[in-house]
Amino acid sequence: MAAKEIPDLRTLLGPRRGGGLRGRGGGRGGFGTSHEEKEAVRDSAVRGTDQDAAGSRVSCVELGYLDDPYAELFATQASTRRLPLLNRGTYVRTSAIDNLVDRFLTTSPTSPKQVISLGAGTDTRFFRLKDKYPNAQLIYHELDFSSNTTAKLHSIRKHSQLHQKLPTNTHPLSPQSDSYHSPIYNIHPLDLRSLAASSSDTPPPNLPNLDPSVSTLILSEMCLIYLQASTVSSILKTFLTHYLSPTTPASLILYEPILPHDAFGRTMISNLSTRNIVLPTLTAYPELGDQRMRLKQCGFIDGYKGADTRFIWRNWVSEEEKERVASLEMLDELEELELLLRHYCVAWGWRDSASGEKDVFSKAWEDTREQV
Amino acid sequence: MSIGGSDLDRAITQLRACKPIPENQVRELCYKARELLIEEGNVVGVDAPVTICGDIHGQFHDLMELFRVGGDVPDTNYLFMGDFVDRGFYSLESFLLLLCLKVRYPDRITLIRGNHESRQITTVYGFYDECLRKYGSVNVWRYCCEVFDFLALGALVTGAATSLTPTDGPIAESIQSMDIPDADCDIEIETLNAQGEIMYRYARNSDSQSSAASQANSNAASSSPIAPTPSNTGPAGTGATSSANGSSKSETGAVLCVHGGLSPLIDTIDKIRLLDRKQEVPHEGAMCDLLWSDPDEIDGWGLSPRGAGFLFGADIVKCFNHKNDLSLIARAHQLVMEGFKEMFESTIVTVWSAPNYCYRCGNVAAILELGEDGSNAGFVRRGNGERGGGGRGWVLGSNDGPNANGMSNENRRLSSVLGDSMGRPRDGPGRRYRVFEAAPQDSRGMPAKKPVADYFL
Ligand SMILES: [Mn+2]
Repeated sequence: MAAKEIPDLRTLLGPRRGGGLRGRGGGRGGFGTSHEEKEAVRDSAVRGTDQDAAGSRVSCVELGYLDDPYAELFATQASTRRLPLLNRGTYVRTSAIDNLVDRFLTTSPTSPKQVISLGAGTDTRFFRLKDKYPNAQLIYHELDFSSNTTAKLHSIRKHSQLHQKLPTNTHPLSPQSDSYHSPIYNIHPLDLRSLAASSSDTPPPNLPNLDPSVSTLILSEMCLIYLQASTVSSILKTFLTHYLSPTTPASLILYEPILPHDAFGRTMISNLSTRNIVLPTLTAYPELGDQRMRLKQCGFIDGYKGADTRFIWRNWVSEEEKERVASLEMLDELEELELLLRHYCVAWGWRDSASGEKDVFSKAWEDTREQV
Repeated sequence: MSIGGSDLDRAITQLRACKPIPENQVRELCYKARELLIEEGNVVGVDAPVTICGDIHGQFHDLMELFRVGGDVPDTNYLFMGDFVDRGFYSLESFLLLLCLKVRYPDRITLIRGNHESRQITTVYGFYDECLRKYGSVNVWRYCCEVFDFLALGALVTGAATSLTPTDGPIAESIQSMDIPDADCDIEIETLNAQGEIMYRYARNSDSQSSAASQANSNAASSSPIAPTPSNTGPAGTGATSSANGSSKSETGAVLCVHGGLSPLIDTIDKIRLLDRKQEVPHEGAMCDLLWSDPDEIDGWGLSPRGAGFLFGADIVKCFNHKNDLSLIARAHQLVMEGFKEMFESTIVTVWSAPNYCYRCGNVAAILELGEDGSNAGFVRRGNGERGGGGRGWVLGSNDGPNANGMSNENRRLSSVLGDSMGRPRDGPGRRYRVFEAAPQDSRGMPAKKPVADYFL
């Protein structure tokens, strides 16, 4: 999903970029044509991986792995069938996060809740949750680059199945816009790094409708991993202390790769680097234990857990569901699938309110089995 | 156009350069191959010496690396255990080259069927699309599938030696040479890297026999593996070593080679011979199981998570081997990061020959050499000079043997690769594994358009 969030690889290249956080606009003039061409190729590669994530979801839906009537509405390319192991991986990742989100929304179901999805890309979760929990008091936010939010809003305007879920009478979708705001759904076009760079002189950008006192779940599916560890810490700190008041229950779910140092991990890093994709926090937090510790250090002190997706497939998915999924396709890539699943993890951490009592996240996730 | 004689050699030359041959030549080649394969039984008889290879999966440049490491056809006899196609970018060139070599040197190369040599699987895993892309029609895919239907289901290797004639290659830098058993010992297992350097050597824990052999051995070159003799590129261990090893050993049982594994419907090799194999791989039944099953740490039989074939435990393998007078089952089908993996007290081995599988997994590959009983004709030492020396990467361990006390980490890892060798009823054949890495990037000519969805992004 957040492949689109691979943003701006140019700023990762270092000082010669001039450090512009919104690198897409800046620093162009000084470079020759071949460099410009290279960047164009890179940009389109990034856009390609974005649509690739959407395509992976469509493949899963068409084969019956996932039930998501909205996936195809965001995919711009004709769907191509993905390899069974990739379908299985997409299934495990999506259903694992669904599981945690479901537990959050069904705990004290009448109390208001907030979700902030970082680098949301073409993610359909808001629309699926709207169907599944029509009475939930949910405020949903998506943050992504302007180019991505523009494309997303284009799809939403185009398909009535999407825009009829929104209160367009009172909060219309304006044409060509890269943002949308309403009491239930908000799309914020921005570069996440602008949240890290803020200082007292330049406060973080305003995020309309973000409620500082509602229990909030922050989602990062393959998003923060593209940023430097220190930048990620600053961004999370901005959420936990600036956008949310320090006593608001808050949590973070991460989905990202782990184990960069074994043969598979080294190959992954090398393959991605040939595509100009760098994953700085992968080496900063190489193992599950490192992920747990960083969650704790970020301020999610009441719970910090993690499991790789192989563990999740084995232990979170019921036997009946496993059987159903296994029957969808013949899967010949078992060993490869195990390797792949071991190299991605879900980590989740939370803080309760300051009252010292168990709050929504403790209640929701205390029993969720982590990998020990 | 005929593809006999010099045409065939020309096609081989072209395919070795990773260039597809014209459609009419493919048709002719496939026709010839079918004529040849139809004469083979379901279980092909193969004499040692032979080099046994696992999955290739269209990784053409790594297949070239395999031939570099293992010796070229027809100098080395090869047995490929299926899964030539799918996943890699060059299934077509890989399979057609192997098929050309089969037609050109029918007694030097044996091809048996893998579960990917199937119409249904190739439409999911890439070979169908590759043919369509490279020829603009599916004719070539159809010709190849017709050949698949005629491939044998297994092979039975007889005449393998119980002991290896030690390579007199240098010991890899990363190995402590003190740990390498003396070359006079009764060598059961040797692991070499792609440069022919010794990574590991294991002497069979028998007995007086090996010391008798060492008494008789007067071959100075092969008895001093500690002193590398890289300039000596002649055949290893001629003379005294040969006669000592050859004459004094009990015979090893045969080695059954099959892509996947065993079937609950098959308790004797003769029952494999009775199957009607000339068809698409069925979804169930004995033929399907032979191509799809996997050994696993269970008792008896279990359901396979692959949705075809079965899982089978050590008891099944030991019983089958005993009943059929086998000392070893060699099979492929499962990716193993170290290239090979012996299980169940070395009664079964998985050989995997696609390094860095799918350009993603980071694994090394291996081939398994079985020597000829009573002579050393099978082991011609490869030159060491092509890439220069120096041990690289993967260290498979030192040489105290799987049961030694005070195991180092390497040893622990090693014993997961090499099963416990003790207490086997039948002495296994001497086994030389050559382990190799993926061909260098610059030689592989990666296509400009990389496949999508390599990772979850
Ligand atoms: Mn296979």
